Amino acid sequence: MEFLLQGFQALTWQQVVMWAIGGILIYLAIKKDMEPALLLPMGFGAILVNLPLSPVIGDPANGEHLGIITSLFKVGIEASEAMPLLLFIGIGCMIDFGPLLTNPKLFILGGAAQLGIFVTIILAAMIGFPLNDAASIGIIGAADGPTAILVAMQLASKYLGPIMVVAYSYMALVPIVQPAVIKMCTTKKERLIRMKYNAKQIPQLMRILFPIIVTIVSGLIAPDSLSLVGMLMFGNLLRECGVLKSLSETAQTTFSNTITLLLGITIAFQMQAAAFLSLETIIIMALGLFAFVFDTIGGVMCAKLINLFSKEKINPMLGAAGISAFPMASRVVAKMGTKEDPSNHLLMHAVGANVSGQIASAIVGGLIIGILGPFCGL
Amino acid sequence: MLNLIGLLAAFDNLTPMNMDALLPALNFLWQGLLAIFVVIGLIIIAVKITAFAIAKCDEIKKRREEAAQDAENGQTNS
Repeated sequence: MEFLLQGFQALTWQQVVMWAIGGILIYLAIKKDMEPALLLPMGFGAILVNLPLSPVIGDPANGEHLGIITSLFKVGIEASEAMPLLLFIGIGCMIDFGPLLTNPKLFILGGAAQLGIFVTIILAAMIGFPLNDAASIGIIGAADGPTAILVAMQLASKYLGPIMVVAYSYMALVPIVQPAVIKMCTTKKERLIRMKYNAKQIPQLMRILFPIIVTIVSGLIAPDSLSLVGMLMFGNLLRECGVLKSLSETAQTTFSNTITLLLGITIAFQMQAAAFLSLETIIIMALGLFAFVFDTIGGVMCAKLINLFSKEKINPMLGAAGISAFPMASRVVAKMGTKEDPSNHLLMHAVGANVSGQIASAIVGGLIIGILGPFCGL
Repeated sequence: MLNLIGLLAAFDNLTPMNMDALLPALNFLWQGLLAIFVVIGLIIIAVKITAFAIAKCDEIKKRREEAAQDAENGQTNS
């Protein structure tokens, strides 16, 4: 009868803690509606991979059968980073760059809102993390799960699991983190600044050329960002070309949903108790929060700086929408704008800054791989 | 803050504020920020030029169409 007790005998307290963490992720997904498409599979996966003798994480290297989650991880993430990259096609298909093309100046805010990434790299390096891990932790500030996964994988960070969990969790926490930081950095007068929205029709040719231009420019200056930016822009070209409607719809719905589903459960491979439960994970969580805060500060301060030289004032809150968390960041800014003045509608401007953050974070991901790769022995 | 540093120091791999890492990390900061703004600047310029070129082309096309229309009207009148 001993075989009935094998599971109980192999159980460790760390695994029970991971069940609790899985339970919290499932709770946040269902009850709080926080990124449910990702947190729910991740939460269930955390329980699944932390059951003693779980065959789903079997590894032939240890004389076991290849488990389904090990297999998905090795093929979909480790070998080629295919899953996060393919997800970018779907994201690109969902994004309308119209508001950004109406006011290209907003692109600057997307760049400035990446400040937190670099500041966090400095802090993480000073705390003592090796450079590859520091950079991978800093990229949490990209507020972009696929970018965080890609950079952590390419820089061979041993903290891939905590980084992925923290990146996705904080994206869901944008509505809680950002308002406080925005209020801290702006005055009421600044938050009341009105902006005209010139809803001019963007020619289809411009919409088609934009993804091609972005791909060429970023490919020439930051070639390492091409896999991310290229997939994002390919998705956008599918959307804007006007002749591939069914492909575009599939990429936006079925395709993205399938990849998201597989990605969520596959990420759980990195949530095995032995690797996940450590003091470093807690520090990574703190650093992730730090990155988000400094991203917001960077964007807001950049908008204020632009206002010093520009006739047409920008509402500095838009700087906070320059982070990549789409569309949460733009919703937060729009909501804050109407809260300050119910007749001040900032949504379209915020969406412009937000989609620019999407591109900028992908470029920064590539830049980090390009700049730090040689120092990390890559 | 001091408590945090103490906590970190207690951990094997992490040391209290490694100041040696500051300079190289600052180097990455300026390189990274400069690169992202260069890319963004170039994209903005390229977008502006493309938008200008498209608007000009549309204008020329419109003028040609108007001229053709005028010519057609002139022929009909004569």
